[in-house]
Amino acid sequence: MTLILRTVTRVVLPLGFVVSFAFFLQGHNLPGGGFIAGVLTASVVALAYLAYGLDGVEHDVLNREVQTAVEHVEHVQHGIVRDYQTLYAAGLALAVVAGLVAILYGVLTGTHLTFMTQTYRSITVPLYGHVELASAVVFDLGVYAVVVGALLTVISVVGAE
Amino acid sequence: MQPTPDLWVLVALVGLPFAAAAATPAVTRAIGNLTAYYAAAVAAACFAMVVALAGTHGGAAVTWVGPLSVSVGFYVDGLATLVGALASGVGVLVFCYSAGYMRDEPGQTKYYATMLAFMGSMLGVVYAGDLVVLFCFWELTSVASFLLVGHYSETRESRYAARKAFLVTVGGGLFMLVGFVLLASAVGTYSLTAMLARPAAARSAVENAGLLLPIVTLVGIGAATKSAQLPFHVWLPDAMAAPTPVSAFLHSATMVKAGVFLLGRLRPVLIGDDWTHLLVPLGLATMLVAAILAVCASELKELLAYSTVSHLGLIVAGFGFANVVGAETGVFHLLNHATFKAALFLVAGLVTHATGTKRLDELGGLRRDLPVTAVITTVAALGMGGVPPFNGFYSKEFLYEASYEMAVHHGGLAWLYPLVAVVASVFTLVYALRFCSIFFGERPATLDVHTPARSLVLPPVVLAGAAALLGFGGIAALFGAPLDGLEGFVGSVVAATLPPDTHAHAFHYALPDHIAPAVTMSGLALAGGALCFLRWRAVRTVVRALLDGAPVLRADCWYDRLVFGANEASARVQRALWTGHLRTYAAWTFAGVLVLAGFGYAAAGLVVPLALPSLGITLSVVLLAAVVGALAAVRAPSHVAGVMALSVVGFAVTVFFVLASAPDVALTQVVVETVTFVVFLVVLDKLPSYYGRITRSRAARDAVLSVLVGALVTVTTLAATGADPDRIAGYFVEHAVPDAGGHNVVNVILVDFRGVDTMGEISVIAMAAVTVLTLIVMRERGETP
Repeated sequence: MTLILRTVTRVVLPLGFVVSFAFFLQGHNLPGGGFIAGVLTASVVALAYLAYGLDGVEHDVLNREVQTAVEHVEHVQHGIVRDYQTLYAAGLALAVVAGLVAILYGVLTGTHLTFMTQTYRSITVPLYGHVELASAVVFDLGVYAVVVGALLTVISVVGAE
Repeated sequence: MQPTPDLWVLVALVGLPFAAAAATPAVTRAIGNLTAYYAAAVAAACFAMVVALAGTHGGAAVTWVGPLSVSVGFYVDGLATLVGALASGVGVLVFCYSAGYMRDEPGQTKYYATMLAFMGSMLGVVYAGDLVVLFCFWELTSVASFLLVGHYSETRESRYAARKAFLVTVGGGLFMLVGFVLLASAVGTYSLTAMLARPAAARSAVENAGLLLPIVTLVGIGAATKSAQLPFHVWLPDAMAAPTPVSAFLHSATMVKAGVFLLGRLRPVLIGDDWTHLLVPLGLATMLVAAILAVCASELKELLAYSTVSHLGLIVAGFGFANVVGAETGVFHLLNHATFKAALFLVAGLVTHATGTKRLDELGGLRRDLPVTAVITTVAALGMGGVPPFNGFYSKEFLYEASYEMAVHHGGLAWLYPLVAVVASVFTLVYALRFCSIFFGERPATLDVHTPARSLVLPPVVLAGAAALLGFGGIAALFGAPLDGLEGFVGSVVAATLPPDTHAHAFHYALPDHIAPAVTMSGLALAGGALCFLRWRAVRTVVRALLDGAPVLRADCWYDRLVFGANEASARVQRALWTGHLRTYAAWTFAGVLVLAGFGYAAAGLVVPLALPSLGITLSVVLLAAVVGALAAVRAPSHVAGVMALSVVGFAVTVFFVLASAPDVALTQVVVETVTFVVFLVVLDKLPSYYGRITRSRAARDAVLSVLVGALVTVTTLAATGADPDRIAGYFVEHAVPDAGGHNVVNVILVDFRGVDTMGEISVIAMAAVTVLTLIVMRERGETP
């Protein structure tokens, strides 16, 4: 790929990560949220793939040998694919657990909450001011992980072909 | 009034076998062959709990799905105690027997874990106080049966048999589920406890809804498949591919009894003319046909399997009769059959173990080598044949009495009932004596007999002892000293199956001391059976010739035709759908969506609001750009141009969202559009640049389909937004900040108000990733074209 694309990618990559992180955090009150942040992260990484190729990312960025993730399969040969799979599996698990915690809390306190009941607290942080902590953010993190993991699995596997 | 049962005892009773099953792998590793006694101890603990619960009556439940009135409910009465005691009591014996039978066999962990899980499921069925709970455990017994029938999974017969048993019983279970849903919708609750507390009210609710016949039919199909009634009896003989203890436990004493148990359970609510007219012919026909098939059986277990079908038919017919004697027939034979048939199955396994053959023709004269077994077999087989004073005789007497009562009452065709009962009993005696005869006569010189292990002999001794005790009760009663405890218990079981308005008399059975119609019928059946047995080879030849003339009775044909026919049909459909062209897949998918959604809209009588919202000049321009982009995408000369044109559409829609003050949706649209574009770039140079020319008719078809799909989406959008959108939106806008503490309503809906929807969506995303990965891996390995 061209030098221009590589140079642009170097600049865009960190910016993209920061923006997606901001989207994730502000999701409750401003445009954003786990899904958008996830897709943005995925597209930024995909851009890196376009610019540097899969082997380049695996070898130069992560300092890992290119290895086979699934036996005897040439095109699924990046350890990072396995990491992506772990990521979306963990994300799904986190989302489910975030839902179940409400039930557990309900049982412990005798309030009989249903699956996925959410709540929030406002706290005041010195120097910063008012911050709202929503329990839904845990679930949203699960959404984020699933979206990033799944999209990048697809992109890297299909791209390798 | 008896005390109500304790919920925790019931939970422990049903849960213990499952917990024990989960622990089985560790136990097998630690104590190997002794696992049998571990399982037997679990069964004994369950039996103790069943006995402890026997003094109670009523239900105990915790709410499960409140709005649907579904609860995790249990119910204890005489019937539950009887079948529960059979499931755990026979379980103890079968596990002890397994210690000898399965010794040093591979796959013990699987075997014992599944058997224990089966016992738990069966106890769950028996003590269920809620239709949903009953259904869940019911299907679990089918799963356990599948695993156990397929225990020798390396043989083709085993796999065929396991699949057959599973398809028939689970298929029937689905009919039953529909029946349950109808029943619950009529009565207003899934709680069996509530229904059985006021059967008359439940029944009149069902009748008022006009659902009695459908419910009886559907539940009847469920029971008939599980209890192997005509024409669903095909699975049971094949299921003999399982290890013999499994056959004794599942396919004679317990699982096949689940069907008749269900009939007994719902009898107080559903009994009536429909019930009788459906079940009595079904049961008696099964009894007759299966008895005939048993006569021509050539293997020990095959004979017992058909005999089991036949006796289940007797029980079904008994429960089918509306009179009290009918209920007594069903209940008492349920008990009798479990004792003698389980004993005979264990004997069959023992004989095969000792001689190495299971063919009836190769066996004979075993009484000198296996004297104890010979006594057991005689007691049990004569009970099976209905010979006085053995136990099967008394329940058969009740059947004769019930059928005679009904015939006198209705006249006409109803006289067929006693006739069929007698003819079936003739054949029953023939095959019972045939089974016995392997112990008598000359021993074939080629037969080599080993002495069986004690653990193989003791369990059938106990079962035959129970059968003998039941028979002895009749003799004692003749002399005025009936077994009060036994009669009282059976009476309480009978009471549980009676509709509320019947006047039950105390249950009593005895050897007859005077000539009554039932006694005459017994006499006829016994004389006929004895005569036929003397000429049994001739009888068998005639019957086999008859069966060859009418293979419908064997009925494997309908199952095979259905299953293999479905295989072929699906292969044909696959060839039509799976062409390897994306175009075909898209066409079928869209056509499917069109038909389903269109049908749904038509059925729901959807009215499309025709008042279109007015668009400003800006919006019109943006949408026009989208239209131009779409047209350009269709006419694009290359993939790159096509992708670019599609992006124009996407970004036009983004601008539309921005103008419609939906920043969140617009943002999503932008990032999704970007990612799509990147993916396209990644795969673009892999796509063929030219797809080949398509015919004009095909293009026309695709165009029509596209326009129709577009119309469907338009209709959907208009209908969805036309239905008072402000009310729904208003609710979320009002509640977002106070309830969820978020100002971004879209995101609050996603993660909080409709979080479970999002959960489903991310599961789909993860599944899509797994699918893509699998497809690629399969392709690399050359498993797909």
